[in-house]
Amino acid sequence: MPEALSLTLLNLAYQAAVLSLIVLGLGIVFGMLGIMNMAHGEFVMLGAYAMVAAQRIGAPLWSGIVLAILVTATLGWAVDMALIRRLAGRPMDTFLATWGLSALLRSAVQLLFGKGYQNVEAPNAGMSMLLGTGYPTYRWQLMLAIVIGQAALAAWYLRSPAGARLQAMVRNPDLAEALGLNTRAMASGAFVAGCVAAGLAGAALAPLVRVEPSMGLDYLLISFFALVVGGLGSLVGLFAGTGLIAGTQSLVAAFADQTAGYLALLLVSIAFLWLRPDGIVKR
Amino acid sequence: MSFSLSRRTLIGAGLAGGLASSFGAAHAADAARVGVLIPQSGPAGLFGASCRNCAELTAEEINSRGGLAGRPLELLFADAGAPPAQVSQTALKLWKSDKVEAFVGMHDSAVRGALVGLFKGQLPYVYTPTYEGGECAAGTFVLGETPSQQLEPVIPFLVQEKAAKRWYLIGNDYNWPRDTNAAAKKIIAAAGAQVAGEEYLPFSVDNFDASLAKIRDSRADAVLITLVGGASVGFNRAFASFGLAAKTLRLGTLIEENTLAGIGAQNAANLYASAGYFVGTPTAQATGLERRYAKKFGDNAPTLNALAESCAEGLLLIEAMAKSTGSLDVRKIEAAAEGLRYDGPRGRTILHARHATRDIFLARAEGTSFKIIKTFAQVGSGQSCKA
Repeated sequence: MPEALSLTLLNLAYQAAVLSLIVLGLGIVFGMLGIMNMAHGEFVMLGAYAMVAAQRIGAPLWSGIVLAILVTATLGWAVDMALIRRLAGRPMDTFLATWGLSALLRSAVQLLFGKGYQNVEAPNAGMSMLLGTGYPTYRWQLMLAIVIGQAALAAWYLRSPAGARLQAMVRNPDLAEALGLNTRAMASGAFVAGCVAAGLAGAALAPLVRVEPSMGLDYLLISFFALVVGGLGSLVGLFAGTGLIAGTQSLVAAFADQTAGYLALLLVSIAFLWLRPDGIVKR
Repeated sequence: MSFSLSRRTLIGAGLAGGLASSFGAAHAADAARVGVLIPQSGPAGLFGASCRNCAELTAEEINSRGGLAGRPLELLFADAGAPPAQVSQTALKLWKSDKVEAFVGMHDSAVRGALVGLFKGQLPYVYTPTYEGGECAAGTFVLGETPSQQLEPVIPFLVQEKAAKRWYLIGNDYNWPRDTNAAAKKIIAAAGAQVAGEEYLPFSVDNFDASLAKIRDSRADAVLITLVGGASVGFNRAFASFGLAAKTLRLGTLIEENTLAGIGAQNAANLYASAGYFVGTPTAQATGLERRYAKKFGDNAPTLNALAESCAEGLLLIEAMAKSTGSLDVRKIEAAAEGLRYDGPRGRTILHARHATRDIFLARAEGTSFKIIKTFAQVGSGQSCKA
């Protein structure tokens, strides 16, 4: 395989993997629970800052990941109690409240860490040979971890009894409640899990991307694109959406230029909203 | 209709935003008030605090030397990170209600355009950040580095010393990178080197893989980076992670200390920047400013950088103008401006065609700070301002 093609394919796979990691949390919160959490990107940002904090006190890398889970789980639980439950069934109010929350979280991080850019060092900065081309080691390790993690998650969701209960809640909450499932507790648990997924994405990406208080905004927009294109409420839709969005952006950028890549991404999203608002996979 | 509506809203917003805070002990009747327009919000908001700190330190220094033509200098700060129309309204209020007699501005060119239209040369206005060139309005004095100033001496030096024969130009898609690269292409050709590629990225792009593949395939020896802020951080991190840093040198004309902190030491090999100021600039004034900055604002203060320091330069130029004319009268200043000089942290500055001629430094990133490796003495702005 020519080297340029290998690199393009690896870049495409990387972008799809990373996007699916970011979209997963929003897929749970927005796709499954139907909650418009505009502060979702800020949970990604908090995950990245957990790594900054760990690095600053000289703690090992894994402790940053643990910190990211603790911070986003605690905060996710608090947000669920204080905002999400109280505003249940009021999507516009939830939208505004979580938008305010996002501004609050950005300001809080600015106060603690300053407005400036932060650098999180990659655990292994070297290059590996992959498909006949040099590729950053941390990147392919991350891709591998994402694939294994999401395969395990999908198996759990589709095969386990707990997964079956979740699916029941997503498809018909009233019926699930009537069958004796505590859907309210399950929804809270799912919301916290979505926040933690976002935090983990931020922690994993911190060594690769720019880290600053407003970084979350980028991730929110592209995650919504992927969900809209893929269709809400199903894992297949989530992966189809991330694949199509990442593939369009990455291939058009490689063969034309970055402006065309971004334009293509917007056109695909608009076309879906217009012609197929339920996305690739209709729930 | 919609125009008058939006205009009314903007005036309201301008007044609210224009609650400029004043600095200095004296609200003395005879104080000389200078408006300092810096980004306190928006994409450049990162630079607001360090600009303000530099301006405050410089005002103290000027007042200890007797102020502006014998009157104490008083600063009024306002946010220039808002849309141009809104900043105009804020500036109008400072000018007409607060009796500001001169302005220092560290903001983007769109805001400068609006302010030049507002002031119409009726009071001195000093524009301080790095910019694309071309501002020739009367009463507007430009201290920032122009593209030819940053590149004219630097590119031939790198072609000679670092064998940078093939250059790839990459920037965000707006006028500053495009004008910088237009100047760069002439300088690269004149130095006997080639352009291996040219690319402009929308601000929304935060994945640089496709660009990095093109840079690798272009076999470039050097990359001229005019990506700004977060885009520059993301690009440079990815550039180094792909192992490109060892073979390909990078030159940035807006990579200052904040951007470098985000890029990180492990991604900063073979990274150069060209500017009129870096922390550690070898002048007594720079050393003094850095010492007083650390003493007054502490270890956790926002890091000093060229854009912040440019606010100090702006006030020093106004001091020199007041000293030379005995006033802040724009007509007298216009008459005295050509050849006006002062010594500041950047060394000697001489005004020509309302632009600065001064030293330009080429620095190499070492860890998370810059080390100046070459000083190019008294480089002109390349602006003639002859219509």
